[in-house]
Amino acid sequence: MNLLIDIIISGLISGSVFALLAIGFSLIFGVARIVNIAHTAFYMVAAYCIYVVTQRMGFHPLWGMVAAIVLVTLLGIISYKLFINPIREHHGAVLIATIALAMAFQEVMGIIFTGSYLSVPKLIKGYHVILGVKVFYQQLLTFGAALLILAGLWALLMRTKLGLAVRSTAQDREVANLMGINEARVAMATMGLSVGLAALTGAIVVPLTVLEPHMWMHPLVMMMAVVVLGGLGSLKGSFLGAYILGFAEALVVFLAPMGAFLKGSVALSIMILVLLIRPEGLFGVSFEEER
Amino acid sequence: MGIILYYLRKLLSVIKNEVLVLPSRVVVALFFLFLLLLPLFTEDPYLLRILTLTSIFAILAASWDLLSGFTGQMNFGHALFFGVGAYGAAMLNKYAGIPPWSTIPLGALGAVLAGLVIGIPCLRLRGTYLALTTLAFPIILMGIVFAFPDLTGGELGISGIARLARSRVANYYIAVVVMLGLCTIMWKITDSNTGIIFHAIREDELAVRASGINTTRYKLLAFSLSGFFAGISGGLYAHFMRIAGPSTLEVSMSFQVVIWAIFGGVATIYGPVGAVFVLFPLMEVLRFWQDYRILMFACVVLLILLYMPDGLFRWLRDKTEKECPRCKIRNVAMRHTCRICTAQLD
Amino acid sequence: MERWGKGILILAMAFLFAVSSFTVVSGQDTIKIGVIGPMKFVQGQGHWNGATMAAEEINAKGGIQVGAKKMKIELVQADSNEFLNVTDATTAMERLVTKDKVHFIVGGFRTEAVLPMQDIAMENKKIFIGVGAAHDELCNRVARDYKTYKYWFRGSPFNSTFLGRTSFVHLATVGAILKGSLNIPKVKVAIAAEKAEWTEPLIKGGETAIPAMGMEIAGIWRPSPVATDVTAELSAIQRSDAHLIFTIFSSSVGIPFARQAGELKIPAVQVGINVEAQKDGFWQATRGMGNYVATMNTYARGVESNELTKAFVDTYVKRFNETPTYTADTYSVIVNSLAPVIEQLGTLDPEKLIPVMETRVHKSCSGTVAYLKDAEGRHLHELRWGPGFLTALGVQWQDGELKGFWPNKWKPAPEAPEVTYKGMVPYKIPPWMIEKYKK
Repeated sequence: MNLLIDIIISGLISGSVFALLAIGFSLIFGVARIVNIAHTAFYMVAAYCIYVVTQRMGFHPLWGMVAAIVLVTLLGIISYKLFINPIREHHGAVLIATIALAMAFQEVMGIIFTGSYLSVPKLIKGYHVILGVKVFYQQLLTFGAALLILAGLWALLMRTKLGLAVRSTAQDREVANLMGINEARVAMATMGLSVGLAALTGAIVVPLTVLEPHMWMHPLVMMMAVVVLGGLGSLKGSFLGAYILGFAEALVVFLAPMGAFLKGSVALSIMILVLLIRPEGLFGVSFEEER
Repeated sequence: MGIILYYLRKLLSVIKNEVLVLPSRVVVALFFLFLLLLPLFTEDPYLLRILTLTSIFAILAASWDLLSGFTGQMNFGHALFFGVGAYGAAMLNKYAGIPPWSTIPLGALGAVLAGLVIGIPCLRLRGTYLALTTLAFPIILMGIVFAFPDLTGGELGISGIARLARSRVANYYIAVVVMLGLCTIMWKITDSNTGIIFHAIREDELAVRASGINTTRYKLLAFSLSGFFAGISGGLYAHFMRIAGPSTLEVSMSFQVVIWAIFGGVATIYGPVGAVFVLFPLMEVLRFWQDYRILMFACVVLLILLYMPDGLFRWLRDKTEKECPRCKIRNVAMRHTCRICTAQLD
Repeated sequence: MERWGKGILILAMAFLFAVSSFTVVSGQDTIKIGVIGPMKFVQGQGHWNGATMAAEEINAKGGIQVGAKKMKIELVQADSNEFLNVTDATTAMERLVTKDKVHFIVGGFRTEAVLPMQDIAMENKKIFIGVGAAHDELCNRVARDYKTYKYWFRGSPFNSTFLGRTSFVHLATVGAILKGSLNIPKVKVAIAAEKAEWTEPLIKGGETAIPAMGMEIAGIWRPSPVATDVTAELSAIQRSDAHLIFTIFSSSVGIPFARQAGELKIPAVQVGINVEAQKDGFWQATRGMGNYVATMNTYARGVESNELTKAFVDTYVKRFNETPTYTADTYSVIVNSLAPVIEQLGTLDPEKLIPVMETRVHKSCSGTVAYLKDAEGRHLHELRWGPGFLTALGVQWQDGELKGFWPNKWKPAPEAPEVTYKGMVPYKIPPWMIEKYKK
C-alpha cells in the first residue's frame, strides 16, 4: 500500500516536470514545424537568470522568476529572428542551428559561471507529509503549475484570436496565410510563448535540482520522448505522455531499486512500444498531406 | 611498351577531358592525392592522428547521409551503429582474440543487425517521429551496457584491445584508404539505380510505391547499408583508440554526426565527408583559444548555415559550376556555352 | 558578389588559424610539464591550480638543479574536455606529447579517457602521473606489461580497493558513535551507490563487511550518476528505517542526494564517499542542506596529515580562495615526487628516473608516498595505503565548514598504536536524528 502511494506521488511529480517542458516544445513544433533542440537550453539560461537575481543581487526568488521569464522570452525571440527565421525553409539547417544555439548558450554560461554546480532557492521552502510520503511544496507547485499552464494555454488557444490564428497555422500554413493570417508573426509569437514556457519551467523546476551548463542535455531526451509519445503538436498528448513516462520511471525506481539507473531506458522503451502500435503517437495528427 | 604508352595516353586524356574540366573533380582528385601522399612529407604524429580520426568520422558522416540524406529517414541515433560497431569489434577482439581485420567487419555486421532491429519498427514512422524515436535507441543500449558491466565494462568501456597497426603511419593509411574506398562505394551506390530509388523515397514515397517498387525493402536496405558503414567506422575507432566505451553512444555523438552532415550538405556524400574534414580539424585549430573553443565552433556552424543553408559544399559547388539546361551536364561557372552540347548557359 | 566575399573571408580566416595553430614555439632551457584535465570543470581547475602553485614555488627558487644548470618549470595547459568528449581528450594528449614536446604529464580524471591517454603517453615514453582516476586497471597494466607501461605512476588518489577500505572504517566509526549515543541496538545501513562500474567492488565489499561490523543492510539503491531528483529513492530509504546511508557518489548526483535528504530531514546520517561534498562549493550547491554530510577527503582546512600539509593548504586557500581537492595533488606530484628525483639524478631521462621513483619513499602533502608491488613482486606504481602512509581523511560538513573527524584515535589493528591527525573534531549527529531516537 505504502509502495503504491510512493509510486503515485513520485510519478505525478516527475510527470509534471516532463509535462511543463514538453508542452512548450510541442507548441512550437505544432505551429512552425521547428524541432527546437535549444528548448531545454532556454530553460537552463532561465535558471542562471534566477541565480543571478537571487544570489548575486539578493532579490526575492519571485523577482528572479519574473526577470528570467521576460529576459529569456526576449532572448528566444531575438535568436529566432536572427538565426532561425532566415533559414526556416531548410528543415535540416534549422535543426542543427538549434543544436548550435544550445551549444553556444551552454558555453556562454560555462564561461560566465564556470562548470561548477550552483543552486537557487525554492519559492516555497519546506515539505509536507502526504499519506506518509514527504513531498516538497516546490514539487506540489510543479504539479499545480503544470495543470494551470495547461488550462491557460487551452484558454488561449480556444478562446482568443491569437489562439485561433495559432491553431489554423498549425493545421495548414499556406491556407492560413491566404486567409490573411500573418504566418510569420504567429510563428514568432508562438516561439516567444514556447520559450517563455521553458523559462517558467526553469523557474519552477530548477530549485529542486542543481545548475550547471550541461543541465539541458538530461531533460532533452525525456522531453522529446514525451512529445513523440503523446503525438507531435498535440498538447493533451504531451500532457498524458508526460505522466505515462513519469509513472514508468517511478515504477522502476520503487519496484527494482537495484535498477534505478535504468529508469530512462525503460521509459524510452515504453515510448517505442506505443509508437509501434500507434505510429503517430497517442493523439498525434498524421501529417499525411505533408509527405 | 606500346600498351603501356597507350594506357598512359588514355589516362592523360581522361584526366584532361573528364577531371580537369570541372573544379569539383579537380578538388576531389587533389583531395585523394593529398591524403595518400601526405605521409611522404610529414610524419607529424599529431597531424596524422587528427587526420586518422577525421577519416574515421568521415565514414560515419557519409553513412548518415546515405540513410538520412538520401532516403529522408531522419536518424537521430546514428551513434547506435557507431557504438554497436565499436563494442562489437572490441568484444570480439578482447574475449575471442580475433584480430582487427576481421573484428571490424564482424562488428559492422552487428551494426547491420542493429540497423534491421531498429529499422523494422521504424518503418511505420516518418519525419520527426522517426528522428525523435531513433534518438532513444542508443540511450536504451547505453542502459543495457551499464546493466551488464561484467561484459561491457560499464562506464569504463572495454579497454586494452589490439591496435589497428603498430605504427602511426600504418594506422593513418588504413583509415584513409578505407575511408576513400568506402566513400567511393557509397557515392557509387547513391549514383546507381538503388540510389535513385532512395532519392525518390525521400521526395515522394507514395509515388515510388505506386511505381511498383517495394519501398519497405529499400528502406531496410538503406538502414542496413548505413549501419554497415557506420559500424566499420565504429570498429576502426575502437581499434584506433584501443577502447570502446559508453561515450560512443552518447547523445552528443549522434548530434555531432547530424551537424557534420547537414553542415556539408545532405544527399551528396561528398558534403558530409568534406564537412568532417573542415570541422574536426577546426576543433583542433581552435585549441589556441581553449576557453572559447566550443563557442567558436557553434558560431561558425550558425554563421555558415545562415549564408549557406543548403550546406557549405553544395554552396561552393553551385558557385563554381552550373548545370546545362539542355543536357544536364555540369560546367564551370565561367563558361558561356555547355562543353558537351554547346547550348547557351544562362 | 557580396556573398562570395563573405564566404572567402571566412575560408581565409580559417586557413590563417590553421597555420598559426600548427606552429608552436618552444623554450629551450625549461622543464615542460603538461597539465591535462577537464579545465572547464572543478577537477581540471584543481589540476591547473596545484601545478601553477608548484611551478611558481620552484621557479621562485630559481628552478630545478639539473646537473650543472638550473632549469625553470614551464607548464603547458591542455583542456581534455574528457567529460564530454573522449576523442578530444586523446588529441589533446597527443598535442601535448608531440607538438608541445612536454617532458612530463600530470592530470587526467575520467577513466574511460585516461586509458587511451595513457596509451599515447606510453607510446611516446613520457612519464605520466595520474591525478584523479582511481581505477585499478591503470596500474595493473604496469604489472602486466612493464616495458610499455612503466612510465605511468599513480599520483592521487589511491585505488578503489583502498577507497573502499577507508570508507568502511569510516562507516564502522560512525556506526559505533550512533550505537553509543542513540542507544540503537542494531544499526541499519542503506547503501546508496551511483550506477557506475567503480562502485561495484565497494558494494560487494559492503555486503560482507557491514554484517561483519555488526550492522544490518537495509537495502541497496542505485541512482544514475547524473540523476537530479532522488526524492523517490530517499522516500524508499526512509521506509526501510535505515539509520545510516553509506553513500558512494563521484558525480553530480551527490548534490541533489545530500540536499534533498537534508531538506526532507531523512533520519539517517550519510557517510562514505561523496566527491561533490569534498568541494567548497558544496555548501552553496546544497543551500546548506548538506550539513552533517560526511565523506572521505584528502584535504581539509585546519587538518594536518604531516608537517607539509599546513603550508600547502594555507597557501592554496590564500592563492585560490578555496580548499584544495585531490586533483590539486598535482602540486605534491611536481614538488615532492618529481623535482627531488630530477635534482638527485641530474637528468630528465625517464629511463633513469623511473627506477628511483618507483622505490623512493617520500613525504607528500597528504601523507607518505610509497609504491606497491603486486603479489608476484611486479611493480604496480600503485600508491600504498595504510597508517604511516596515505590514509585520507574522514570529513564532515559542520555548519558551513568542512571539519576532519577521522583518523581520531584510530586503531588500525588491535595492538597497533592509535593514529590521530592534528586538527580533528568530534563527529556530530544531526539534531533531527537525536530527536527521533533519543528517549
